[in-house]
Amino acid sequence: MYGKGLKPLSIATVVAIAAALSLVFFYAPLDADQGFIQKIFYLHVPLAITALIGFVVGGVFAVLHLRSNDRKWDAYSYVSIHMSVIFGVAVLITGSIWAKASWGHWWVWDEPTLVSFLIVFLMYATYYPFRYAIEDPERQGRYASVFAVTAGAFVPLNFMAVRMAQSLVHPRVFATTNGGLPGSMMFTFLVCLAAVALLWVTLVKLELTAKSTSGQLKRLRRALDAPPTGSSRPRIAPEVS
Amino acid sequence: MPDLLFATPALPLDEAGKYVAGAYIVFLVLIVVYVAIMASKLQRMERELRELAGFAETRSQGEVAAPGRGSEGQSISDSFAPHGAEEAASDV
Repeated sequence: MYGKGLKPLSIATVVAIAAALSLVFFYAPLDADQGFIQKIFYLHVPLAITALIGFVVGGVFAVLHLRSNDRKWDAYSYVSIHMSVIFGVAVLITGSIWAKASWGHWWVWDEPTLVSFLIVFLMYATYYPFRYAIEDPERQGRYASVFAVTAGAFVPLNFMAVRMAQSLVHPRVFATTNGGLPGSMMFTFLVCLAAVALLWVTLVKLELTAKSTSGQLKRLRRALDAPPTGSSRPRIAPEVS
Repeated sequence: MPDLLFATPALPLDEAGKYVAGAYIVFLVLIVVYVAIMASKLQRMERELRELAGFAETRSQGEVAAPGRGSEGQSISDSFAPHGAEEAASDV
């Protein structure tokens, strides 16, 4: 069920990423201030935007789970958060590489944008131990959804707070004054954003398909392990780990 | 644009290039690692599915050979059929 449409989505993602990389390296002009190092932004910023939106999307799915008690939404929420955490790792690493090249430091602790993203990332890193500390599946899903809703609401609040903090050193991609991108750079950036967002959707779908298939296999194993009528001896089969 | 960025001159290409390459390679490596993990999961599921299919076939054959007896003594683990080249070829 989840695998439906995965193939065209994967092809679209590959095409979009190829187009984005071509635009970054062969179309977008060099930045007057930063030069070639600014090319990292075409990867770093879309990854950050997608990861943050993914966290919020995970919260929305969690709301649907709490409202309907349908475990499908819990799976959606979990996978959305999981993928956004992976993207978050990429955001932190690519951001650090840019900071080292541009500022001479891998990390700057008095920069609100960096620290706030790290806080959001670490908060979501606690989602896994929190979730898997609960054994009962019903409670696990419910508590994880409450976490996802609370944390998902924190993400936009955190974003707005950082924007209002008037950062001194972190550049703004969508600034209205003194920093807005020219047309060719903005076009390249938007293609990159679309490509990274497509990649996120594709990987979420792939993960959901794998989880669904794994669940179906467990069901099949349970059905085959069930003793036939009249027999009290279960046919225990160890699950392949 | 912030003051610091104005004060920071653009890096020469040979120096900036390694940072840009590093950032894009990190992204690529993360994707490849993720795909490798998913591939190992897929392999595990395939192995498990083959195991279950073998068990189901053995059970149905046992029921045909000895109707009424059942196949209580067997487990999925016991019913592993050797997955040789012929079987692999027939799967394809």
